[in-house]
Amino acid sequence: MSNINTVTGGGRGSVQRSRPRPSVGKSISVALLVLGAIGMIAPFLWMFTTSLRDASQAYDLPPQWLPTEWDWTNYAAAVNGPVPILQNMLNSAVIAIAVSIGMIITAPMAGYAFAKLEFPGRNSIFVGLLSSLMVPAQVTIIPLFLLMRTFGLLDNPLSLILPGITGALGVFLLRQFFLGLPQEIIDAARMDGATAWQTYRLIALPLAKNAVSTLGVITFLGSWNAYFAPSIFLNSTDTATLPLGLVLMLGPYGAGNVAQVMAATTIAIAPALIVFLVAQRWIIASLTQSAVKG
Amino acid sequence: MTLTAPKTQLPPAPPSGRGGRSGRLTATRRREALTGYLFTAPTIIGFLVFVLGPLVAAIYLSLTKYNILTAPKFVGFDNYARMFRDERLATTYGNTVLYVGAAVVLINGFALLFAVLINQRLPRALTYVFRSAYFFPYLVALVYVSIIWQALFQKDTGILNYYITALGGERIDWLNSSEFSKVSVIIVDTWRNVGFAMLIFVAALQEVPKDMVEAARMDGANEWQVFRRIIVPMISQATFFNITITIIGAFQIYESIIVLTRGGPGDASRSVVMYIAEVAFNKFDMGYASAIAVTLFLIIMLVTLVQFRLRKSWVNNE
Repeated sequence: MSNINTVTGGGRGSVQRSRPRPSVGKSISVALLVLGAIGMIAPFLWMFTTSLRDASQAYDLPPQWLPTEWDWTNYAAAVNGPVPILQNMLNSAVIAIAVSIGMIITAPMAGYAFAKLEFPGRNSIFVGLLSSLMVPAQVTIIPLFLLMRTFGLLDNPLSLILPGITGALGVFLLRQFFLGLPQEIIDAARMDGATAWQTYRLIALPLAKNAVSTLGVITFLGSWNAYFAPSIFLNSTDTATLPLGLVLMLGPYGAGNVAQVMAATTIAIAPALIVFLVAQRWIIASLTQSAVKG
Repeated sequence: MTLTAPKTQLPPAPPSGRGGRSGRLTATRRREALTGYLFTAPTIIGFLVFVLGPLVAAIYLSLTKYNILTAPKFVGFDNYARMFRDERLATTYGNTVLYVGAAVVLINGFALLFAVLINQRLPRALTYVFRSAYFFPYLVALVYVSIIWQALFQKDTGILNYYITALGGERIDWLNSSEFSKVSVIIVDTWRNVGFAMLIFVAALQEVPKDMVEAARMDGANEWQVFRRIIVPMISQATFFNITITIIGAFQIYESIIVLTRGGPGDASRSVVMYIAEVAFNKFDMGYASAIAVTLFLIIMLVTLVQFRLRKSWVNNE
C-alpha cells in the first residue's frame, strides 16, 4: 500500500491512489532501509576483505571495504595453524549431520502418532513433551555433564549427538503438518490392507517432505552454530567443534592474528551463506511460518 | 493456542470380551495404541533421559552441596538463601536484566520500523535484497559474528573508532570500559536478532486487511492514526511472540559476551549464564550453580506461560 496520501495532502481521489508516484516518504524509507542493509552487510564485507590482506596491514586505517588484492595466504595459514580448524569443521559437520538425520527420523514418527494414531495418554504425553520447550539448556547442563561424565562420553561427539536426535520442537512442527492431512487418505490406505508402518512410511511421510526438509535445515543450522553445550562437553582441540576452534584461534582479548582469524571465520560462515543463497526464500518462509503458527 | 489439547478426546477403551465384533475392534485399537507408543518411544525416551531427568536432577542438586568428588550432601534451601548475599549474582543478574530490557526495546523497535518500511510497495528485487540482508546475520553462529564485531570494536585499531574520530568524536573503549562493554554486547545482540523479528512482523503486516486501512484513510485518518489504531492491534500476536522470544533469548545470553569482553572488565558485562557456567565448571560448586539455574528456569517458564495465557485470551476475543 502506498503512503501517497501523506504526500499529496490526503487527496481523496481513488485515481491518485491507484497510480502511486515515487514520493518523498518512500525515498526516505528506502534510504533508511539501504542504511540498515549496509549496517547488516558491512561487518561481513570487512571480514572478507581483511581475510585477503597481508596480516601486517590488517588493521590499516582508513579501512578498505573491497578487496584490493586476492591473497589467499591467510587461508592457508589459518588451516595449517596450531588450531586444527579443518578437523574442527569435520567434527561440527559429523555432529550436525548425525543430529539432523536422527531428528528427521524420530520427530516425524512421533508427530504422526500424536496427530493420527489413538493411544491412551496421547494428549497428556504431548503436552508434557511440549513443556520441555520451557526448559532452558542452562538448567539441564549440569546434570547432563554429570551423566556424560558417568558414561565416559565427555570429549566425545556422542555427548552432543545423543541429546540432539530427539526434540519437542520437531515433533510439534510435524504434528501440525499431519493434523492438516485428511484422515481419508490414511483410512483409504488402511482399508487397502497397509499396515500402520506402511501407511506412515509410504503415504504420510512422502507428503510431509517440505516440513521434514525445514526441520532438517533448522536442526542442522542449530547444531552447526551451537556453542554453549559443546564448550562444556568438549575440552580438547581435536574434538572441538568449529565455533570452539575459532574462539581458541581468536585467543584471549582478540590477541590472535586478525587476518587469519577472519580467513577462518569466512570459511566457517561459508556453509550458512551457501545454504542461504540456494534456499533463502524457502528458509524465510518456513522459519516465519513455524514461528507465526507456533 | 498451541498448548490446547485437541477437542476430540479419546473415548474410553471399551471393555474387552464383549462378543466377537467389539473384540475385534479392541484388537485393532490395541494394535493402533501399540504402534502409537512405538512411534513415540524414541522421542519419549530422549525427553525422559535428556530433559525431564536432568531437570529433576537439577532441582535436587540445587538442594545439596556437591563438588563432584564427594557425594551430594543435602542442605535444604541453603543455596537459595546464599543467593541473596551473593553480590556477584546481583551484578550478573542486573546485567542480564539490562540486556533483556535492551533486547525487548531495541530489537522489536528496529524490527517493527524496518518491517513497516519494507512492507510498502517496493520493487520486488529490492524487497528481496533487503529481506536477505537483514535476515542473514541471524543464520550465522553468534560466535562468528561476535568474532567479527570484536575486531570492529577494538579501541585503537577498530574501524568503529576510526569513523568516530574521523567525525570528530573521542575514541570509545568499547570492550574494556564498564559502561561500553555492556553497550557492545547490546549492539551485537540487536544487530543479529533484528532480522528475524522483522520477518515475523512483515508476515503479520501482510495479514492486515488492505481495505480496512484504505477505509480508515478515506474517513480521514492520518498515517499515524492508521498505524496506532489499526495496524498495532492487528499485529499484536506477532508483537507478543517477538517480545517473548527476545526475553527468553536475552536471559540466556552467553557466547557473544565470551568473545567480546569475557564478562569484563571485572563482572561489568558478565551475564548470569556465564556466572552459572563459572560456578559449576570452574569452581565445581554444582549445588549452588544448580540453584541459580533453577531460578533462570522459573523466570523462563513464567514468561512462556504468560505468553500462552495471553495468546489464548486473544484467540477468544477474536
